[in-house]
Amino acid sequence: MSSEILIDPITRLEGHGRIHIFVNDEGSVDHAYLQIPELRGFEKFAQGRRAEDMPQITSRICGVCPMAHHMAGTKTLDDLYHVDPPPAAKKVREMVYDTFMVEDHALHFFFLGGPDFVVGPTAPKAERNILGVIGKVGLEVGKEVIGVRKELRDLMTEAAGKAIHPVFGLPGGISKPISPELRDRFVAAAAHAVEFGKFSLQVFRDVVLSNAEYVDLVTSEAYTHRTYYMGLVDERNRTNFYDGRLRVVDPQGKEFLTFGASEYLDHVAEHVEPWSYIKFAYLKDVGWSGFADGPDSGVFAVAPLARLNAADAMSTPVAQEASEEFFSTFGGRPVHHTLATHWARLVELVNAAERMGELAADPEIASPEVRTIPTEIPTEGIGVVEAPRGTLIHHYETDERGLITRANLIVATQNNAARIALSVDKAAKALVHGLDVDEGLLNEVEMAFRAYDPCFGCATHSLPGEMPLIVEIRDLRGELVREIRRD
Amino acid sequence: MRTLVLGLGNELAGDDAVGVLVARALRPELHDVADVVESAASGLALIEVFAGHERAIVVDSIVTGRNPPGTITEMGLEEVGRVVAPSLHHAGLPELAAVAARLGLGFPSRTRVLAVEVVDPYTFGAGLSDPVAGAVEELIRRVGEQVRRWETEAACTTTPP
Repeated sequence: MSSEILIDPITRLEGHGRIHIFVNDEGSVDHAYLQIPELRGFEKFAQGRRAEDMPQITSRICGVCPMAHHMAGTKTLDDLYHVDPPPAAKKVREMVYDTFMVEDHALHFFFLGGPDFVVGPTAPKAERNILGVIGKVGLEVGKEVIGVRKELRDLMTEAAGKAIHPVFGLPGGISKPISPELRDRFVAAAAHAVEFGKFSLQVFRDVVLSNAEYVDLVTSEAYTHRTYYMGLVDERNRTNFYDGRLRVVDPQGKEFLTFGASEYLDHVAEHVEPWSYIKFAYLKDVGWSGFADGPDSGVFAVAPLARLNAADAMSTPVAQEASEEFFSTFGGRPVHHTLATHWARLVELVNAAERMGELAADPEIASPEVRTIPTEIPTEGIGVVEAPRGTLIHHYETDERGLITRANLIVATQNNAARIALSVDKAAKALVHGLDVDEGLLNEVEMAFRAYDPCFGCATHSLPGEMPLIVEIRDLRGELVREIRRD
Repeated sequence: MRTLVLGLGNELAGDDAVGVLVARALRPELHDVADVVESAASGLALIEVFAGHERAIVVDSIVTGRNPPGTITEMGLEEVGRVVAPSLHHAGLPELAAVAARLGLGFPSRTRVLAVEVVDPYTFGAGLSDPVAGAVEELIRRVGEQVRRWETEAACTTTPP
């Protein structure tokens, strides 16, 4: 006979969801599930549309990372039309994309992830929000985040179209070159962003790493999974957000696979469970053995922690130093602690900022040669980028006129979905004992998946339902045993 | 300072488009007295949108399951769910206001939210459901009226004696 604890909706994320925790007679957790509604019907919606419209259409899927979809779609068009953009176009795309990564990572670190760890895991509820973060790190930091974000978004708007709906990606290149004046602004903004990144790392050291309670939480078994990790790397196995080959390392950190975007479907399959709309990605070469970690389970992870694990090094010096500090703090690579992803995110922020600066200083960046006109008949294309939340893939098939016959997106969170389920289950089992759960414990279960910053099919905008969190504990007869209201 | 009319929503996702469509319909009529903005962003990402405005009206979809689809609920900022630790990526308007205040960024002193109960905000390309489509006209009317009411008040208080 089991009872159910329900957490609904989930806080501080894109979208809504519910966590069901099933508690058995002995008072321990039988299993815990994460259920999130996702956007449906994309395949049908895309059919018959012009493939060349997809980068702009898909940028509207999600208000959080339109640039990621725009770029994945653009690269898919390159593949679809069998066209190679000129070098300057690729550099501009990468520079603008790195700008987006800095901006998004900054927002996430301070406003989304921050409340979980900057104020301390057992801080009172009233402080576990952005105001608590500001209280802890200071007003100037909060203002700095807003200022940096604005500067970067203004640059993206000039280079790529509206920051919320980029339009510059085309098959074979981009719509307009970067002027020397705009280039100079990118140079300045990149330098500013690098300083901001270094500063954020220092905040992390001072406020988080010095908090022994938090460090214990990060390294605790409840938040640790020994899975495979996947990320895009360049020809020297260094992280690259815009392009490269996908590399998978095993739970020991050894290279297991590398493949190009077009071979993704040969190596990754999807598993379906009745209790969730989400399709759980897993490695075909290992196989599905349930929601488990370890070398015999095909469960893998993407996003900042996974990317650092999947690469051998960072491509820029300050980020590389930060990465070395990261790994040595945890005693080597790979790092399996889910909550460490917040720190990994900052290392990536610095890397993206440095890379932005390198590209802005490249003599070719303001070249007028930014487009190769496609001449081939379109057939099928797959494009991959590393979105802030992980590997993102677009896949289009068209007729000879370039009208979509089939389209599929594999969003970052699908790649992480199995590991997220594992995390919720494991955290609930370790932390929830009996029906006498308090809010702090429930928050710790939520922390398990907030670290992934999941966006679950790029959720909708609807205001959350009026009623705040209600946890209902019922017995098998459906009788309400206990109700916990979080309001 | 101008009034902000903010239509929030995902234009591609069924009923979730309603806020965006209402804003779009209002822009020709209101553009000389208000900043009419459409956005799919939410939560903290909107902090810059609100800054620089004294008054704001927000139009958005809501799923409570407690009202018939198409029902319009009007709320002041303080009534917008003290939704527990609201999603910072999501609406979280009261928290947004608090953060803006704390950072000295400026936030409208008067904010009204018009939330319309929707059927399906999750299906791509679905278009508005009938009940929600039926509410659009009233939403447009109410937003327009509120903007004009505020304009009139502002004019009255600045008219020299």
